[in-house]
Amino acid sequence: MTAIAKTHKPGKLMKRKDPLQIVAAVILTLFALLIAVPFYNVLIVSITGQAEYLRAGGLMLFPSQPTFDSFKRLFQNNLLWTGYRSTLTIVAIGMPMNVLLTFCMAYGLSRKGWPGRKIVFVLVLITMIFNGGIVPMYLLMKELKLLDTLWSVIFAGGMNTFYMIITKNLIESLPESLIESAHLDGANEWTILFRIVMPLSKPILATIVLFYAVDRWNEWYNSMIFLTTPNKFTLQLVLRNIVINSEMQGAAASSGNVSASAAQFSMGIKMCAVIMTMLPIMCVYPFLQKHFAKGIMVGAIKA
Amino acid sequence: MSTVVKKQKARNPLGESWGRRTLNAMRAHWQIYIIILLPIVWYAIFAYMPMAGLQLAFKKYMPRRGIWGSPWVSFKNFQNVFIDPAFLRSVWRTLSINILRLVFVFPFPIILALLLNEMRAKRYKSVLQTVMTFPNFLSWVIVSSILTNVLSADGLANSFIRMLGGSTVDFLGSEKLFQPMLYITDIWKSSGWSMIVYLAAISGIDQDQYEASEIDGANHWQKLLHITIPNLMPTIIVMFILATGNLMSAGFDQIFNLSNSATKNVAEILDMYIYRITFQSAPDYGLSTAISLMRSVVNMALLLLADRGSKLMGGNGLFA
Repeated sequence: MTAIAKTHKPGKLMKRKDPLQIVAAVILTLFALLIAVPFYNVLIVSITGQAEYLRAGGLMLFPSQPTFDSFKRLFQNNLLWTGYRSTLTIVAIGMPMNVLLTFCMAYGLSRKGWPGRKIVFVLVLITMIFNGGIVPMYLLMKELKLLDTLWSVIFAGGMNTFYMIITKNLIESLPESLIESAHLDGANEWTILFRIVMPLSKPILATIVLFYAVDRWNEWYNSMIFLTTPNKFTLQLVLRNIVINSEMQGAAASSGNVSASAAQFSMGIKMCAVIMTMLPIMCVYPFLQKHFAKGIMVGAIKA
Repeated sequence: MSTVVKKQKARNPLGESWGRRTLNAMRAHWQIYIIILLPIVWYAIFAYMPMAGLQLAFKKYMPRRGIWGSPWVSFKNFQNVFIDPAFLRSVWRTLSINILRLVFVFPFPIILALLLNEMRAKRYKSVLQTVMTFPNFLSWVIVSSILTNVLSADGLANSFIRMLGGSTVDFLGSEKLFQPMLYITDIWKSSGWSMIVYLAAISGIDQDQYEASEIDGANHWQKLLHITIPNLMPTIIVMFILATGNLMSAGFDQIFNLSNSATKNVAEILDMYIYRITFQSAPDYGLSTAISLMRSVVNMALLLLADRGSKLMGGNGLFA
């Protein structure tokens, strides 16, 4: 079958015309649509007015009268901007700290011959399957006087042991001779780490940076537990509050005497908040996707 | 001990003792200790201090006296835990939700990977992959906000159902639909990303096997059944072990953000229970720490058990 197809010089897409390929394409396309459509719908609802939304429901391709009212309403909410400030602070301080700690630990563990290496490695592995849980962590932050400061969120997520192990495995797969010869040339460990190992592991460095950045961006649980002042809340937490608060407003509007036109279009504002929260990730994701995939592949192959 | 030392002495022409040699090795590698100092300090403070805080499980916490100064109460906290019927219900609910997760959600990425592997159109394949992996990078806060829009009474899904002549379904506010919604949304968010691991494993399969089987006249299904799937097995087992190790803790982010007052009765998994008794009613830190401790121990036992099981089945295990 394939031999015949080849002699007929098939088109680019149809090298092999077996039905399985078409079935696969159809199923996967449906699944991808199921993922993409909700995002498109969020965008549509965010630029639709309440009257039109109530008339047409969620089932529209594009609003006949697009409006940015919901965005304007949202931008009046000061918490959105303080949320951006908190999240950007956490990303800007936390992420470099994550990467530095991760690379230092990974490099140290990848070097052999120093006493205590095994013990340190086991102690680090234990933290992957066993942890103190939220109460001791909360009390620790309280004792360190870090509660209700961004530092609590930054320090609580200081390292991800899983990423560290991936990094360590990758450093170990670098040619040993490079490091050895650097040693013989009298380079010290810092020079080796920052001048040789880090540049050589650029792909994993990029991946680790991205993973940490996304984790930091998505920070909400620790901020919910540790932070109490609303203008310190991270963006995700602000989004959570907006969704819950406008849910309550919506309930009040539908049960009470508020006229539909005067009431805020709560779903629209919610979706504007969603867009504002995921916009950065959405913008960078298509370009960086290959790095993300590379990271998990390195981890998977080594695991 | 002494024989060991003797052996080492015999091997060591300088006649240095074990302690001396260790000291020398440490001196030779002093820079490494400096490099790992910061991460070690972090682990000590933010991983091991909380672990030391687990002693609260055996104490009655008094805010004024702190973790270390609070009085010991031996196993009283654990006894109190088992008095609360909500606790046992939450344990049972956690296990049943996460076991059903293994049944419904776990196979999905494998199927996706096998399907994607069948496709030949490279460009389109990478577009599909980009779309499918994207939701994984959003938090459950965002995902649940998106879902409240799509699944609300006036939302896209219900408008569509009404257009087809059906009646409005309360997707997120019904106790009956809560569990199925968990599995569906979990698949929606994370199966595309989990698929990547299997794709990597498939691309790592030795192509010679396929060519040899083609010469023997194997058809598509036979290749799938006898080459692709057996080669995927080690990866599947590792992923299964990891999932098993999470049986008691998976899903907090999802359930915390997807549940609401209408579904709170069916949504209280163990972590939600811990959260409730810790942060919402009058907190008893000793009690909640006791539950966390039990959960961690059970998780670890499950992980080791699954690891042992996979080794018995001839797999590699997790720590090998």
